[in-house]
Parts: sequence; structure tokens; C-alpha cells
Amino acid sequence: MKELFAKTYVRRLLITLGVVATVELMTGPPGSNTAPTAGFRGSFAESASFFGLFKTQRWVLFLFIALVAWGIASFWINKGPMVRATVSRALVTPRHITAKRPVRWGALGALLVVAVLLPRIETSAFWQAAMVEQIAVYVLLAIGLNVVVGFAGLLDLGYVAFYAIGAYTTAWVTGALPLPPLFHHALNPFWSIPIAILLVMVAGILLGAPTLRLRGDYLAIVTLGFGEIVTIFANNLYGITNGSLGSNPIPHPSIQLGPVKYVWGLKPVPYYYLALGFIVLFLVIFSLLEHSRVGRAWTAIREDEVAAESVGINPLKYKVMAFAIGAASAGFAGVLTASQSNNIFPASFTLTFSINILVLVILGGMGSIAGVVLGAILIQTVTEYLNNGQHWGYQPSDLYIYLGALLIVMMIFRPAGLIPSKRRKREILLSEADHENAHLDEALLGDDV
Amino acid sequence: MNDVIFDVKNVTLRFGGVVSLNDVSLHQNRGEILAVIGPNGAGKTSLFNSLTGVYQPQEGTINFVGRNGKTVSIIGRKAFRVATYGVARTFQASRMFSALSTFENVKIGAESHRGIGVVGAMLHGPGTRRDEKRSDERTVELLNFVGLTEKANTIAASLSYGDRRRLEIARGLATDPQVLLLDEPAAGTNPSEKLELANLIRRVRDDMGVSILLIEHDMKLVMSLAERLYVLNFGGVIAEGTPEEIRANPVVIEAYLGSTTEDAGSK
Repeated sequence: MKELFAKTYVRRLLITLGVVATVELMTGPPGSNTAPTAGFRGSFAESASFFGLFKTQRWVLFLFIALVAWGIASFWINKGPMVRATVSRALVTPRHITAKRPVRWGALGALLVVAVLLPRIETSAFWQAAMVEQIAVYVLLAIGLNVVVGFAGLLDLGYVAFYAIGAYTTAWVTGALPLPPLFHHALNPFWSIPIAILLVMVAGILLGAPTLRLRGDYLAIVTLGFGEIVTIFANNLYGITNGSLGSNPIPHPSIQLGPVKYVWGLKPVPYYYLALGFIVLFLVIFSLLEHSRVGRAWTAIREDEVAAESVGINPLKYKVMAFAIGAASAGFAGVLTASQSNNIFPASFTLTFSINILVLVILGGMGSIAGVVLGAILIQTVTEYLNNGQHWGYQPSDLYIYLGALLIVMMIFRPAGLIPSKRRKREILLSEADHENAHLDEALLGDDV
Repeated sequence: MNDVIFDVKNVTLRFGGVVSLNDVSLHQNRGEILAVIGPNGAGKTSLFNSLTGVYQPQEGTINFVGRNGKTVSIIGRKAFRVATYGVARTFQASRMFSALSTFENVKIGAESHRGIGVVGAMLHGPGTRRDEKRSDERTVELLNFVGLTEKANTIAASLSYGDRRRLEIARGLATDPQVLLLDEPAAGTNPSEKLELANLIRRVRDDMGVSILLIEHDMKLVMSLAERLYVLNFGGVIAEGTPEEIRANPVVIEAYLGSTTEDAGSK
């Protein structure tokens, strides 16, 4: 018996069975006061369809899934390195092609065309709204936070504050708050875009200048506090923000430049194009910055602050810059949310929200713009798909269970994210090699830049 | 004394009750290869960190004569500010931007001492592009100077010890310094690398006109390279002179080399 458990594949099977049984329980029916064990029984004994082939009970289905998972895991652990080597050898030629400039620009252009045509392809009201409220907004927030966390290496747990400031600025300048707007003249939300972006950048500088002298954990705690302060202010300053009741209705944005007049209305699609325009703008600016001296200085500070100072880089200045620049896209996201949803409430700007964005950045690949965009789109799309109707017993409140599990799995198998940033990936490899005292060359494997 | 580049007067540096530098006074002439030696814990690296703005001594003055002949006080300035005055340095345990290539490491040095235009960097304007081109050219030049041209695209972390030193020197030179401070450059290098390093250091002074301030344990290297030496012990200067004078100085032999004079050559 003991020998049986000592075998790795047996242990792996037991672990897989345990994990799958947990998933089975999580996705099963809930229990009730009168029948406390109903959830447990139902999770296993409820009837289910075996991939639409025949009717059976849930436990059969899950046992099958467990065995398949076990088989795949065993195969991957034994043959994984070989498969990976074959794949990367097979990819050498395609990689040469994708590295070429025209190919890259072509691919980006094609993606943009898809993004532009998307509202025509997907016409359901649910998804058109989700594209703006759940995907575009999160992409904007993720690429902004990526500047702070990914480029400059500063852990910001209060990023939601900039989003909130952007949203509340919109409410303020349009006269939707108890606090009267500037010169008692309410502006159209469209003009709150530059004002909100400017204000959040100032907020970034005001928060950053005193706090960015702190390092690591201390900075994380302070930013956490900042996020909470902003939420609590929004909640309690009745005279200014109208407290937990939220803002008065915010008008829809419109623009009138000479003969050109456009009014954004109730439909989400126009907001989608507005968001898309700004996403492209921010992506261009952020990627130019990444490959400029500013981006290199951020990398230098992230890797070795003392060495960075020794060549004349002022760490504080660059960190504050990262804070302000990263805040900009959150400011715009705030305007977008406020002007589209008509009302804003302090309850939408919570710590969980900040962490949610951080998870998107980590899963996508810290420091990798493509990764972060993909991560945000992927996670948000799957979340929305699950929210839209009944799927496998998923409850919206379970989201964090799955996100947490996904995060753990990713950290083990792909710590640098979905599409890792080259620099970040190398940093992780180097620190792992340091830990294991392995040979560095092996970790880098002739990895020329 | 108008050709003095570093003028250190009565500097005392304390960490709580521990006196790391005690009333240290020394100076470096422009264009000189100066060495500071002393046993472990004598305060050599503390002196370096004080000269570069990393530590802030409680007493004394450190004056540095910068590019335009203007005298600036180092004490009270932050390290990055000191670097922009024209003081470059390397570190005892080499500190590089490990995940970046050799080229990028040096380029960061070449571009960082100039003022930044964030807006220019965002928009990638003509000024930024010109700046970038200049930094690239300077980087190529310096990699060639230190002999790392072939390793321009290698990740810094996979360079040998000798190459890391070269990289650090190139990165320091990229900031267009007046003086280069080298903290034990020969540590961890083999004899042939040491020889090349000594040549490189001499070339930095001769070809680029950069003064050199050196901390080193390797006596052979120091004695062959330095034109003048200071000896530190227990945080204070105990001797000053040419290599010959130092070798003959009984106080130095007693304090630094211990009682066994044989160590002088072998260490």
C-alpha cells in the first residue's frame, strides 16, 4: 500500500481526483436549511449529459474529466520538454517572419480592422454593452496600470482611485454633483476628457511625490491607503459628492465643431468607438514610451536603483512620471464610465476593483503591452460569457475563486504571463537561477536580444 | 591648487556609534590616477559612497570641480545629481542592469545624464530621434573602446567577471565624466584579465582625459597603475605618497600589511 502511494503517477492521480471533486462541488447545486446535504449529494448524483452523447450522473462525467486531465498532466510532465523543444524548433521560421516589420504592422492593422468591425459582427445588446463597460474600460485600466507596475515596477494597490477621480471629475464639470462646477458653468462630458486626464495626472504627481520615496511593500500599503481614502471621501463627503447616493444624472457627451456635430446617446456602440480611439492613442503613446529613454530608465530603476542613480537617473522623477502617465488612461476610463452609465456610485470604486485590474496585468504579462491587452480582453470576455446566462452552475460571486485558481496555476507554469515581456521574462529566469544556483547561461540559453 | 578635482576636508561619517570615516582629508589632481588602499573595513568603500553622494557625512566638506570649472559641494547632494556633475563609478560587486543587453546598459548611461523631454519621448519627435542617434553612436564608440563590441547583444548577466567590469566602465564613461571611481575593479578577474584591465584604465585616463580614483586590494595592480596613493586604516588616512614611498613607509607596513612584509608582494 505504501509503495503504491510512493509512485508519483498514483499521487498525481489522487491530486487530480481531489481537485476535480472540489470543482464538482463548487459547480454543483447549493444546499438549503432543510436539506443541508443536498448540495453535496446533488454535486455528485445529479443527472448530467455526457458531452451531449448520453445521460448519466455528474460523478461519471467528472471522473472522466479527471482521468483525461491526469493523462494530459502525466504526458506533459514526461514528454513536455521534448514537445516544447520540437515546437520551438518548428516555430523558428514563422518567428523570423513575424519579427519582420511589415508583417507586424500588417497584423496590427488587421487587428484594428477586426476591432472596428466588431460591433457589426456581434450585434446582441448584451455584448455591445459589455464591449464598452466590461472590456474597453478594463483594457484602458490594465494598460495604464501596466505602466506603473510593469514598466516602472511599482506595486500600486490603489489604482482605482484614479478611475474614481476621472469619473467624479466628469460628474463635477457637468454639474451632476452638489459641488458646483467651475465658474458655475456646466460643461459637456466630452470636454471633461482633457480635464479629467489632466486632473488624474496631477493626482498621480501629488500622490507620487511624497510616497514614491518608499520602496516595495511600503509603497503598496500607501497606495492601498490612497485608494481607500478616495473611496471613503466619495462615500462621506455628502456636500461634494452626494455620498453613497451617487451623482445626479450625467448628460451624454456631444461634440460640435463648426458643421460637425455628434451626440453620444444611450446606445453603447458610439462609446465603443470613442473608447477604441483612445485605447489606440494610449497604446501608441505607451509603446513609444516603453522603447524610449524613459522606458529604459524605468527598466534600469526596476532592476537596480543604485546603479541607475550612478548614471544620473533621478529615480523619484521617473517614478512620479510613471504614476502620472499610468493614471491618464484610468482618468479617461472614468470619463467613459461616467458619461455612458449616467450615474456613478462610490460603491463601484473598491479595493477589489484595484486588485482585479492588477490580476489582469499579471495574467496578461507585466510589462508587456500586448499581453496586458490580451489578458484583459480574454478574462473579461470569459467573465461576461459566464455572467450571460447559466453555464455549468457558475455564480458571479464565484468569480474570484476561479481567478485565484487561475492565478496560482499561471504563477507555477507561466509566471511572466500570457505574452511575457522579454525583459521581465529574463528577470524572472535570472532570479530563479539565483535561487537554484543554476548556471545562468543555461537559464538564458543563448538568448540574445 | 587650481588643478584639484576632488578636495576632501575633515570628513567624518558615522553610522550610529560606529565611526566609518574619521576626519579624512585628501585631494585628487585633475588627470591623476589616484588609489586608496587599506585593509578590509578601513573605510574605503564608505569614502567612495561619500564621494558619490550615496552616504552623507556628518562633518567636513567635499568639493568637486566640475565640467565648467565650477566648484560644487558633494555633501547634501543626491547620488544621481553627483553623477550629472561628472562623477562616474563602478561597484564592488558589479551592479548592472542584468536583464538588458550590454548595448542597452551602456546606452542608458549615455542618455541619462541629459535632460529628458517626456513629451518628446511620447511623440518620438525629431529632437528625440537625434538624441537617440547620438546615444547609439556614443555607445558603439565606447563598446569599441572597452572591447565589448562583439558582446553588444549579450545579456549582461551572462558576461564574465572581466567583461562585467568593462561594461561598468563603459557605462560610467558614457555619462561623460570628469572622474571615474573604480571600486575594486580587479576582484574576481584572472591574471590576464587583470593586465588588460590595467591597460584599459590607463587608456581611459590617457585617451579620454578622465581622472581615475581607484580602490583595490591587488597590490601589484595598484603599484603599477597608481601615481599617488592614500592609505586608510580604521577610517583615517595614515599615509600618502607615491607607490615607492608607500612601499617603504613603516607605518603602512605595520598597519596594512601586518607584521609579515612578504604579503606586500603576494597579496
